[in-house]
Amino acid sequence: MWSELRALREDVDYGTPPRDGEAVTLTVDGVPVTVAAGSSVMLAAAAAGRPVVKLCATDMLEAFGSCRVCLVEIEGRRGFPASCTTPVEPGMAVRTDTPRLAELRAGVMELYLSDFPAEDVLGGWSELHEVIATTGVSSHRYGPGENHLAAPVDDSNPYFLFDPAKCIVCSRCVRACEEVQGTFALTIQGRGFESKVVASQGEPFLDSECVSCGACVQACPTQSLVEKSLFEGGYRSADPAQA
Amino acid sequence: MPIPRKPDGSVTTTCAYCGVGCGFRAETLEGRVVRMIPWKEGKANHGHSCVKGRFAFDYYLHPDRVRAPMIRASIHDPWREVSWDEAITHAAAELQRIQAAHGRGSVGAVSSSRCTNEEIFLMQKFARVALRNNNIDNCSRICHSPTQFGLSATLGAGAASQHFDSILQADVILVVGANPTEGHPVFGSMMKRRIREGARLIVIDPRRTETVDSPHCRADVHLALRPGTNVLVLDSIAHVVVCEKLYHEAFIRERCHWHEFEQWMALVGDARYSPEAVGPEASLDPEDIRRAARLYAAGPRSTIYYGLGVTEHSQGSTGVMCLGNLALACGMLGREGVGVNPLRGQGNVQGGSCLGSWPHMFSGYRFVTDDAVRASFEHDWGLSLDPEPGLRLPNMFDAALAGSFKGMYIQGEDPVQSDPNQNHIMAAMANMECVIVQDLFLTETAKFAHVFLPGSSSLEKNGTFTNAERRVSMVRKVAQPLAGLEDWQITVRMINAMGYPLHYDHPSQVLDEIARLSPAYQGMSFALIERLGSVQWPCNPEAPQGTEVLHTKAFPRGRANFMLTGYVATTERADERYPLLLTTGRILSQYNVGTQTRRTGNVAWCGEDLLEIHQADAHTRGIGEGDWVSVSSRYGATRLRARISERVSPGVVYTTFHFAQTKANAITSDLSDWATNCPEYKVTAVEVARVQAPVVTEPAVREPAEAPA
Repeated sequence: MWSELRALREDVDYGTPPRDGEAVTLTVDGVPVTVAAGSSVMLAAAAAGRPVVKLCATDMLEAFGSCRVCLVEIEGRRGFPASCTTPVEPGMAVRTDTPRLAELRAGVMELYLSDFPAEDVLGGWSELHEVIATTGVSSHRYGPGENHLAAPVDDSNPYFLFDPAKCIVCSRCVRACEEVQGTFALTIQGRGFESKVVASQGEPFLDSECVSCGACVQACPTQSLVEKSLFEGGYRSADPAQA
Repeated sequence: MPIPRKPDGSVTTTCAYCGVGCGFRAETLEGRVVRMIPWKEGKANHGHSCVKGRFAFDYYLHPDRVRAPMIRASIHDPWREVSWDEAITHAAAELQRIQAAHGRGSVGAVSSSRCTNEEIFLMQKFARVALRNNNIDNCSRICHSPTQFGLSATLGAGAASQHFDSILQADVILVVGANPTEGHPVFGSMMKRRIREGARLIVIDPRRTETVDSPHCRADVHLALRPGTNVLVLDSIAHVVVCEKLYHEAFIRERCHWHEFEQWMALVGDARYSPEAVGPEASLDPEDIRRAARLYAAGPRSTIYYGLGVTEHSQGSTGVMCLGNLALACGMLGREGVGVNPLRGQGNVQGGSCLGSWPHMFSGYRFVTDDAVRASFEHDWGLSLDPEPGLRLPNMFDAALAGSFKGMYIQGEDPVQSDPNQNHIMAAMANMECVIVQDLFLTETAKFAHVFLPGSSSLEKNGTFTNAERRVSMVRKVAQPLAGLEDWQITVRMINAMGYPLHYDHPSQVLDEIARLSPAYQGMSFALIERLGSVQWPCNPEAPQGTEVLHTKAFPRGRANFMLTGYVATTERADERYPLLLTTGRILSQYNVGTQTRRTGNVAWCGEDLLEIHQADAHTRGIGEGDWVSVSSRYGATRLRARISERVSPGVVYTTFHFAQTKANAITSDLSDWATNCPEYKVTAVEVARVQAPVVTEPAVREPAEAPA
């Protein structure tokens, strides 16, 4: 009953919420691990000490399956299922680290980096930067194209700002606002390349229904939503001329 | 956009705002707190936070923080900065001088629920061993003292019966006089989560609060009762339970006294409490009362959460007893997902209650008049103690006005802003010879002080807090106290200066003393809390790791008691001159008297207190949105701006008390709970009129008395 709350650990992100359920034993990269039925392969991998890289997943939110970096191979199955949305089964043999998986992840990471401020790829400490370090992918092969780098920063909230240039539209903020806070102030507006995080009806955060609980800021894996207090003497407000 | 700076240190601690008691990781950079990240292992918040705990921490370095002790001969003199030694020697000498001239009982102390358990315990020790009287009270006098009294009378323990998580097993949630999504936001989020999963919600509140209706969360029944009719409506719900035989007979026979139940049944079963009789008086549809009763009684797991809307009435204690009775009658105690739970306003109100800052009780809710109890304290402290209960906080002010009470040591409280009938309090304060205020800022109360001792914020000290679910969590020092001393150290120095030798190396030794002298805390220690993260009392040899759910097998007195809860209307009534009823509350972004949150970015959401008034009442008075209005009562008057709102019913107006300039408590009455003197903040008859412009100075209704020469 309480695992989803009480099994959370400060120093581990299992990627999906812990579950209560019958014990299920499987192997991850040959390491046997026993978790509760209903757990994800991603959680089992973390519990086995073989964590899978992830961007749209965190253990305070239900699995979503949008970022496509957590792919794994499962013996006897075709393809490369997302580990966050795949439930564990007894006897499953999971591989998290194969040349083919590395290739696929690198391809996905390149796409993310092709629309991410180049000057911020190195030296950061967000979850995205951890994935950059783990995968070793810090550049991309794409030329200049359409991007979100000049999108205006929303700095209306006194405590945090939203810089769409760093947003990967993983929906963690939207889901945190719904599942954790229960305010439903955020949404993804538009489709495809036009998709963007908006507060209420596209209003500045301060004027929206946002109650500034901070759940979205905590959930954001790229520091697209980030505390203003982390910038020296405040922060530089968005200036399109500089972008 | 530059890359954000990465914090270089972190300390896990407990939020000092509301009674939820969220765990936070205070992250620092070069010694300064730069952000607060909710602690995923915090058992009250599970990694969630609200705008106050998460972001509103910068007050701790605000320029207004007082950084050195100060004294002055008269409240009309300017302050003079002095050394700690001089301030404390002077304060102690003044208290001793007053006691020599006016008697041992002419001075007292007040502790604060913003302080740690250890500090609260030391404040009551100060009164008992240094002042040698029992003139010690705490701010739960003015908020949840009826909880302590009412739940003790019915269930045998004046505290929440459940842990917060338990709500995730509830089928029916009854919220009375509380607005968790604003006042206790992290718990409110958990409640909303359960409602989204399908739990039913009943809200009893004069206002249409956000709890009543928010995205994907709507009350099945909202009883928007007329302020002051709580007991009437709760008795009416009981009437339906009794008359429709919805009660749980097996539970009552096993866990309560059947003959008491029969007496109670005879009372609430009377026709005067039928929904049809109560409806018109409480401005409710009788059918809604019946629906609420049936929903609650049907459960199968129904839980009650209530706030100051229950306690802050002339029948506050009776209202709490109504809730205890109702839960007993329906068998809604002693399991997961059921219970009766006060939502406490300040971070450590439960600790304030537990740790003996009461004129009649030592820590652990034991009476000073009990010879055996007193002997145990006398043995531990090595001196004889006064067997006579001391003055309650309102009595101290009354006595100050009458001239028999001359000195007060106030730690972390701001009674001039927070206590009812402000003009009365100010006159009492001005009539004292030595007021010692220990606080972060020069508060409204500090304007009447002779000695100011600069306190430490919760980021600057070690100790423990007890939250609204009886959970004791660690408060850890993240930064050095701005003025050099943690609050407990200041109190120890005061005790020493009064001639009682005392020494602690660390607050953990104070908790050890608390454990020795307080049954519910018997097994507590810093080591245990460090190991488990937090511990819910009772913690003793039977429950070495603490207790989540109370009353599972037996009540503290064996069986629980039904209390008779006849309705007596408050004497504070609307009439032709004061036709509206004012009720007060709080909002999400500000906290209590606002001394902390007003000094943060939270003013972006709320920069002033507003008067909510229904369109109908506004229209007849020619009041428009944002107009300045005067609000006058039989006790005083103030001015603020109006907000036209559907949240209040016609005949009811509402405001908050976060800003000193609002003087919301200039208009509240000095009526109070019959049992505990908890003020009746929630009902004041007022008239509202449009006024032209803001005024700079308020005319005092009563001039403060001249300070004696």
